[in-house]
Amino acid sequence: MSIVRETDTGWQSGMAKSITFIVTKDCQLACKYCYLVGKNVKERMSWETAKAFIDYVLSREDEFREESVVWDFIGGEPFLEIELIDKICDYLKLRMFELNHHWFNSYRFSFSTNGINYHTPDVQAFIKKNREHLSIGITIDGTEKKHDLNRVWKQAKADENGIIHPSERGSYKDVVRNIPLWLEQFPNAGTKVTISSADIPYITESVLHLYSLGIHQVNINVVFEDVWQEGDDLRFEEQLMTLADEIIEHGYYRDYACSFFSEHIGKPMDPERDNQNWCGAGKMLAVDAAGNLYPCTRFAQYSLRSKKALIIGNIRDGINYNLLRPFLTLDRTTQSPQKCLDCEVASGCAWCQGENYDAAQTSTIYERSTAICLMHKARVRANNYYWNKLFRKLELEGRREEYENNKRDVKPEIC
Amino acid sequence: MMQYLVILLDDTSVSYCHADNPYSVRRLIGLNDLRAGILFAMKQNLMIQFVYPDYELPQEYLDLIDTIDHHDIKPWYAGASPADVTVFDKSVLAGVSPVNQGVAVLRLTKAELFENVEAIGKILLKMQRLNIVVTDIETITDEELKSYAAVLEGLASVLKDEYLAGRMPQLNLLTDRMMLDRPNHCNAGVENITLAPNGRYYLCPAFYYSNPDDSIDPQDIRNQQLLRLDHAPLCRHCDAYQCRRCIWLNRKTTLEVNTPSREQCIVAHTEREASRQLMAAIREQAVFMPEVEIKELNYNDPFEVRKEW
Repeated sequence: MSIVRETDTGWQSGMAKSITFIVTKDCQLACKYCYLVGKNVKERMSWETAKAFIDYVLSREDEFREESVVWDFIGGEPFLEIELIDKICDYLKLRMFELNHHWFNSYRFSFSTNGINYHTPDVQAFIKKNREHLSIGITIDGTEKKHDLNRVWKQAKADENGIIHPSERGSYKDVVRNIPLWLEQFPNAGTKVTISSADIPYITESVLHLYSLGIHQVNINVVFEDVWQEGDDLRFEEQLMTLADEIIEHGYYRDYACSFFSEHIGKPMDPERDNQNWCGAGKMLAVDAAGNLYPCTRFAQYSLRSKKALIIGNIRDGINYNLLRPFLTLDRTTQSPQKCLDCEVASGCAWCQGENYDAAQTSTIYERSTAICLMHKARVRANNYYWNKLFRKLELEGRREEYENNKRDVKPEIC
Repeated sequence: MMQYLVILLDDTSVSYCHADNPYSVRRLIGLNDLRAGILFAMKQNLMIQFVYPDYELPQEYLDLIDTIDHHDIKPWYAGASPADVTVFDKSVLAGVSPVNQGVAVLRLTKAELFENVEAIGKILLKMQRLNIVVTDIETITDEELKSYAAVLEGLASVLKDEYLAGRMPQLNLLTDRMMLDRPNHCNAGVENITLAPNGRYYLCPAFYYSNPDDSIDPQDIRNQQLLRLDHAPLCRHCDAYQCRRCIWLNRKTTLEVNTPSREQCIVAHTEREASRQLMAAIREQAVFMPEVEIKELNYNDPFEVRKEW
């Protein structure tokens, strides 16, 4: 098969509307760090719901004025519903054409998959059919040991409520076999790695392992949830410094990127000039199997531990725009505690609006969770070490200017 | 800074604000709870506002109430004793003729308001101050907004004549914006809290009416900063100073206490514009508050221009 066009997850960033179909809440895996606490085998989207949602969105061009659209498919594992997805995408293309919609020829289909079904005929046929408008990210966490620490198969049977639970069987081998095919089709694709407390000792070897698989872009982040143990920040810093040494010593910085290291992070932020929200919740739109609409998938009930789902409408009655006003007026300073506003290394410290909502003392999206505070500071220290060491090396080799002209620019990944 | 404690003396105490009181069965606050509330107010240096039901309280309650400086908010009914604030409902429109009152609250639905402009104008003339509370304002449509503007225009005409005659009755919807040079928000949870008949504290009576489990710890209000103006991204830029910025309506309509609905904003801006026009009309015939300027705006909802801030 021919190489699929460049897949840039930041495609039309800022100008594109992200619209997500939660096609299923089922998954082959039951990853231990997964924020989807309510995954189940029951809630699968019907064609009727998907079609009604598409008709709702495409008939309201005046409400959805963004230049472009990313039709995102998420689960659970979206490729479990490849037949439905194929039908959805065909219908989207047909209707955008028939309506002469401004999104026709300015759209992408985007997937985050566990990669297990990537090689199957149905998925491959879908890729072939839609290759000009496709972004696919496969999640692989690193070495077999690191990957299998969290990314395990679910138990064969769900519980009496349909909720799925983890088994002991890791999924590394089932995913890694599809990486060569994926990279052949999407050579510039990146993977997304998630770090929880137990993963810290494996960060360095995992990133290097992903590089060795041919993955040039490793997007990596620590979980936003409050899972961190005392001393994790120091262990994290140590791992990142080891990783920095490896990347610099072996010259990986020339052709590979790891999002942990960025020149843009670790600076103070101006309360007025740098006051934008980090998260895109509210600018996005998600729909689930019941036809309920959300400002982001993270506000669906299966994503929430302790709060009620934040539903902003449904496919029959449409969006209640009053419920979007808090999202669209959110700024950094209003939701941040004073320690964040005073922080000397604030830039690049991320948050997830859904996790903020879930962790808040009251039912609000305006209380920023600071569970990652120490981890961010550790990252900044290691990041400073990385750049100081790299730049000194380049200076001594007389190649600083050459590097600056050719470097891969890794910007903080904004949700 | 906390300044007031509102004490609902009975489950049927009169509602003086947006939320309807759903309780119809009498239940007096326990004497011990009332005593504890008064003690709390004394120690926190809070002025108490007692809210009464439409019947005479037992003597032991009256005696206890009389142990502290306070304000009384009472429903109007035949034989009611005088109050600092008297609350009327639509029955006052049906020919009941209240004697000259100090401060009055008139609670009406949109429909009742739209149909009774003339009667309201007459009531206004009998009061030093009238606060009109439209109880279903959060459902106002664009079409109804035109009717609302027409009501304000009618009442402004009454006020203009009064002001030019040297009398200055106050109507919250029209004269507050002319008189205020800063917001006059309700500030529930920041400047006042409420003790309900169940002995628990709430941000305001509406939170008790809508969910008795929604109580607060008066010494430790969680996310209290979100109740303050500086944590309200839209309102902190707004100069519709007469708006009460009702946090209960905010939460009801947008799920956030610090964010108003579109309906609240367009109503407040319609009032602001009517105030501006009233001021201009008075100034056509007399010198009137020359130091005050209400600028003309090209929007009705600050949300529309949020990116310009």
